[in-house]
Amino acid sequence: MQGDAQREVPGRYYDGITSRAHRVVLRVENGEACLAGEAERRVPLAQVRVSERTAHAPRKLTFADEACFEPDQRAALEALLHATGHRDSAVVRMQQSWRAVVIALGTLLLVLAVGYLYVLPAGAKLAARLLPVSVERQLGQGLLGVLDRRVFDASKLPAARRAALAQAFARMAPPRDGAPPYQLVFRHSRIGPNAFALPSGDIVLTDQLVELLRDDHAILATLAHELGHLHERHLTRRLIQGSVVAAAGTVLFGDASALVAGLPALALDLRYSREAEQEADDYAAAMLRRNGIGLVHLERLFTALQELEDELGAPPPYLSSHPPSAERLARLRQQLD
Amino acid sequence: MSAVFESAVPALAREERIEFTATGGEYFRIWIVNLLLTIVTLGVYSAWAKVRRNQYFYASTRLAGSTFEYHGKPLAILRGRVVGVILLGAYQAALRYHPPTAGIVLLLIAGVMPWLVWKSLQFALHNSSYRGVRFGFRGSWKGAYLYYLGLPLLAGLTLGLLYPLVHQRIKRFQHAESRYGTTHFAFDAPVGQFYKVYGILVGLLVLGGGVAFGVVAGLAGGVAALNGGTADIAVRAGQVLIVFAGVLGWYAFTLCVVWAFMAILQNLIWNHTQLGPHRFRSTMTWPRLAGLYITNTLAIVCTLGLFIPFAQVRALKYRLESTTLVVAGSLDDVVAAKGGDVNAVGESVADLAGFDLAL
Ligand SMILES: [Zn+2]
Repeated sequence: MQGDAQREVPGRYYDGITSRAHRVVLRVENGEACLAGEAERRVPLAQVRVSERTAHAPRKLTFADEACFEPDQRAALEALLHATGHRDSAVVRMQQSWRAVVIALGTLLLVLAVGYLYVLPAGAKLAARLLPVSVERQLGQGLLGVLDRRVFDASKLPAARRAALAQAFARMAPPRDGAPPYQLVFRHSRIGPNAFALPSGDIVLTDQLVELLRDDHAILATLAHELGHLHERHLTRRLIQGSVVAAAGTVLFGDASALVAGLPALALDLRYSREAEQEADDYAAAMLRRNGIGLVHLERLFTALQELEDELGAPPPYLSSHPPSAERLARLRQQLD
Repeated sequence: MSAVFESAVPALAREERIEFTATGGEYFRIWIVNLLLTIVTLGVYSAWAKVRRNQYFYASTRLAGSTFEYHGKPLAILRGRVVGVILLGAYQAALRYHPPTAGIVLLLIAGVMPWLVWKSLQFALHNSSYRGVRFGFRGSWKGAYLYYLGLPLLAGLTLGLLYPLVHQRIKRFQHAESRYGTTHFAFDAPVGQFYKVYGILVGLLVLGGGVAFGVVAGLAGGVAALNGGTADIAVRAGQVLIVFAGVLGWYAFTLCVVWAFMAILQNLIWNHTQLGPHRFRSTMTWPRLAGLYITNTLAIVCTLGLFIPFAQVRALKYRLESTTLVVAGSLDDVVAAKGGDVNAVGESVADLAGFDLAL
């Protein structure tokens, strides 16, 4: 403490009452900050707040009554603080060191990767399971209405054919218990063969797909795939994951650029939906097996889709939400072996 | 020497440019640590992160040799964020699970929003100080409801015709009701000027749109005519290319107009703002603003977001450093709003011990 007496820091003192600058010299004596010059003041060090260290901004001392001291030169105050044993908090020391920041960046990427790859899917799965089915149902209501107005007309299939398909599927047992209630919805599509499940429990099947497949067991395989989506609650999980990713994107990138924030979210979503498709395929395969239907009918579905893709020119696999049919075929064949 | 000169000729106005000494490199370090701690604490640390960031930016802002100081408390900010998250969460949940309720929640949010904005204005100003004297906001909550809810609704009813007026009134409310110590800010930008700036914006967009459409239609038609009116694949490809170039050109033009608009508006607002006898002067130019935004966006995309802190410092630096305070006399005689003046503002200051809503 003896050396402290010799350290003098010239600067300006603002008394907190007016904006007037008082020329003063700061010293530390007996554990007190002493100002001398155009203003005189002694305050115990414990009552002085020191602003956090930064490389370019000056450091300030602020007193309890909001009076403050600004040094003319940062180096002198830095030396005085060092001499009095003032220590920055761990966070401030981290912020000032490039090495710590590189480690922090690495940790950040690691946390994000682990969170995205493991924590997020598991969390969304759990959350979707905890969500009451009634809530989930409301989520998808209205969607079918929108689709009916935009892309669908009433089904042109004979009523008897529709009833037969519905009964055949109703007789099938799901691969494991707890399958949610569903209703089959037949529609004539203006955009070609399609089948999908809505969170409301509607499994939509287009006339065009029924005509394309021509094999009732392949149609049942399609319905099993869609039931898999419902049973695994894929859409709800996807919605939950999407919201979390969007929230994290906002935290990470702020409003700096909608583009930068949007792209990773899109990439993550696409990757997730591919996994969901695989899960639904596996579910369909297990359902067929349990009901004594050959997997060859699932294969026929994929082959039909493959031919359709070849005809239309398939979108590049990494941009497609469904994996290419060739890939699904290969996966299925692997299971068959 | 200069001190002697100042006191000898006090009436002479001198110009004090705002200096911003923050660097992208240092803010990058603060930003990364803030991000890591925010993610690890599931967002709770974001309030502390905001305080650290603001303290750094305020301390890096220098006017006439002195820097600013930020006093916001993390817990108050956290409280504001919790309220914000609850409001938005309620709305999102209602929208998803029961749309009719979402309407009610939206009405509720619209109902409390002016009050929250008013609290946030108070919070932001009350927690800023310069030379040991705090800023403050004296505007009433009634004013907040008028300017942030009443007039915008009216502007909506008139299909936006009143919007420039609303903008001018909001800026007047924000600036004229602010104070530094006991010295009040004043705002005298006329409504007519706002209409002029908005008129130029709309005019440029309409004119640009017309020109772009005319050029594209003319060129596309020309390509077809050159080929004798046949529409083979090459002609169609050429037309698609022209339309694509047209859309791109239109997009670039729109961005430039918007940046020009932002620069002109910023100049208009600050050139008509006064603190006691001292005037502000803003000299933003749109080519520099456009250059700044273009390079920032490109750099952020190319670095996968790592440039964000540098971009923020660059943008803030340009914004702040294009502002000058024309000091009439001396900056020394501002009195803090303490003691006698507290009764006038004290009521709100007391319960605003902190609430900050930043959405
Ligand atoms: Zn699927």
